[in-house]
Amino acid sequence: MASLLQPDRVIYLVRGEKRIRAPLSQLYFCRYCSELRSLECVSHEVDSHYCPSCLENMPSAEAKVKKNRCANCFDCPCCMHTLSTRATNIPAPLPDDPTKTTMKKAYYLACGFCRWTSRDVGMADKSVASGGWQEPENPHAQRISKLIEYYQQLAHREKQERDRKKLARRRQCMPLAFSEKYGLGTRLQRQRPGAPISALAGLSLKEGEDKKEITIEPAQALDEVEPLPEDCYTRPVSLPEVTTLRQRLLQPDFQPAGASQLHPRHKHLLMKRSLRCRKCEHNLSKPEFNPTSIKFKIQLVAVSYIPEVRIMSIPNLRHMKVSLSPASVFGTAPAALGVNVASELEDSSHHLCPFCSIVAFRKSNKIGFFIKVIPQKEEDADVTVTFRMRHDFRNLAAPIRASEEGGDAPPEPIWLSHHVELRLGPLAA
Amino acid sequence: MTDPKQMMAPKSAKIAAGAVVCVESEVRGDVTIGARTVVHPKARIIAEAGPIIIGDGNLIEEQALIINSYPENIMPDSEGVEPKTMTIGTNNVFEVGCVSQALKIGDNNVIESKADVGRNVILTSGCIIGACCQVNTCEVVPENTVVYGSNCIRRVQSEKPQPQTLQLDFLMKILPNYHHLKKTVKASGTPLRN
Repeated sequence: MASLLQPDRVIYLVRGEKRIRAPLSQLYFCRYCSELRSLECVSHEVDSHYCPSCLENMPSAEAKVKKNRCANCFDCPCCMHTLSTRATNIPAPLPDDPTKTTMKKAYYLACGFCRWTSRDVGMADKSVASGGWQEPENPHAQRISKLIEYYQQLAHREKQERDRKKLARRRQCMPLAFSEKYGLGTRLQRQRPGAPISALAGLSLKEGEDKKEITIEPAQALDEVEPLPEDCYTRPVSLPEVTTLRQRLLQPDFQPAGASQLHPRHKHLLMKRSLRCRKCEHNLSKPEFNPTSIKFKIQLVAVSYIPEVRIMSIPNLRHMKVSLSPASVFGTAPAALGVNVASELEDSSHHLCPFCSIVAFRKSNKIGFFIKVIPQKEEDADVTVTFRMRHDFRNLAAPIRASEEGGDAPPEPIWLSHHVELRLGPLAA
Repeated sequence: MTDPKQMMAPKSAKIAAGAVVCVESEVRGDVTIGARTVVHPKARIIAEAGPIIIGDGNLIEEQALIINSYPENIMPDSEGVEPKTMTIGTNNVFEVGCVSQALKIGDNNVIESKADVGRNVILTSGCIIGACCQVNTCEVVPENTVVYGSNCIRRVQSEKPQPQTLQLDFLMKILPNYHHLKKTVKASGTPLRN
């Protein structure tokens, strides 16, 4: 049954800052600390930006200027699919002879999924295949940029005052985080000691720009508001003309209520990230720079180091009756590792299953064994078996200490133990 | 059943001149196919419970199934079942693997791949039923409606889909090079002599 191979049937426990339970395919293994790591106990760093449809790499500085949007590709405002450019021939009068007409190419954007076209919003066909499409500008753009400048200046001034006070009092150095008011969150700054905070720099001002004072006038409340149209309550709603919430919120500048004002936006960039163990600062996963390549330069995933337990079949589970459930352990290359399985006493949320395991068969890199399951609770929906698996791990990456005789000593195997949970499903009637 | 009406209804397909119907397609029952219509091999047009009339300029691709079948709760031989005619207009496209049981289809519609249109749906004109969408309701789909997405959400498009004239011309030139075609029969009943 393919459902036995579903990833959430076999869960491994990760003992990090939090105890996280995840299937082995979603975990990483730090071979320097010899521990499992999950996505929540590693630090994520941005490697590169790329557009998912044209697969064009974009340097971080350019991405920041373009607000993480691709220059060439557009998203359909209706269904968020990628828009494609289509051409039609329209008759157009020749410039020198207005009476004759010649066929000129006109381009428009169209979505292949929901059949939205740029003509739906009233955008005229362009004569250039790419680069002719403009996003409408935010009417409040000037006010927003002025406010941002004002607050940047304010933050810079406050930081200078605080730094001056620090020197005056001669206290111990306060952590760097406190001096940047509108900068990065403190947690992110703590995890990258010494690394320059480049593309994520929030609102920090450059030095020397505090010469001119910027004043802003406060926002003014208006007394008069536009009245609602008279047929607001009686006009029947025409659903094709109303935008959905998702379509509206994807354009936070305008949030149009009518479908005829949904303009296409440039496509959002995706990023490649690399993962780093928080304890030893080694890279766990580092992708290739090229957006078209799916390989990794460094790929320390758990499935290549930790033996994987798979459920082979699930018998009919009855309350307080013993059933034998076969399971198998798949080892990783190089083979020849020893595996111990022992029961683990857990808290009462799991079913206590005293069992003995019998090795049923051995085959190349696979060991099959039986687990005796006695469901304890009658009406529970999920029978869970937990056990602890120990295996020896030869760390081929660790530096080999030169022994005194001068020969190479083989790396000592260390025994790692993992807490595994199997979800066997509901009780049979 | 000795019903004189059933004995007189012709059971063979009537294919107009100019239509391209490949021999490997399955055309069963009383089916009329209009001019400039292309029926790909492995398409199936089955008229069980009544005749099917297909207009001009349609494109019926591989593994498409156009079937005029009995509704599920009615046995084929019971009394009082009138054969209902299925009418299909002009310039429609039935993409690969779609199933259409709609009794009335207008012009310029597109039924995309693996879509399923039920018997009680009436497609007007310019409708597009998206890929893998199942429309089993009992309704008249308004003009220029697009049904798309896994939840079959709808929207209205501003213009009807373009007729596939280029594709039809290409197929009418190329298909006879690789497939034998079914003989065209005039609608009056006299077969053409080659």
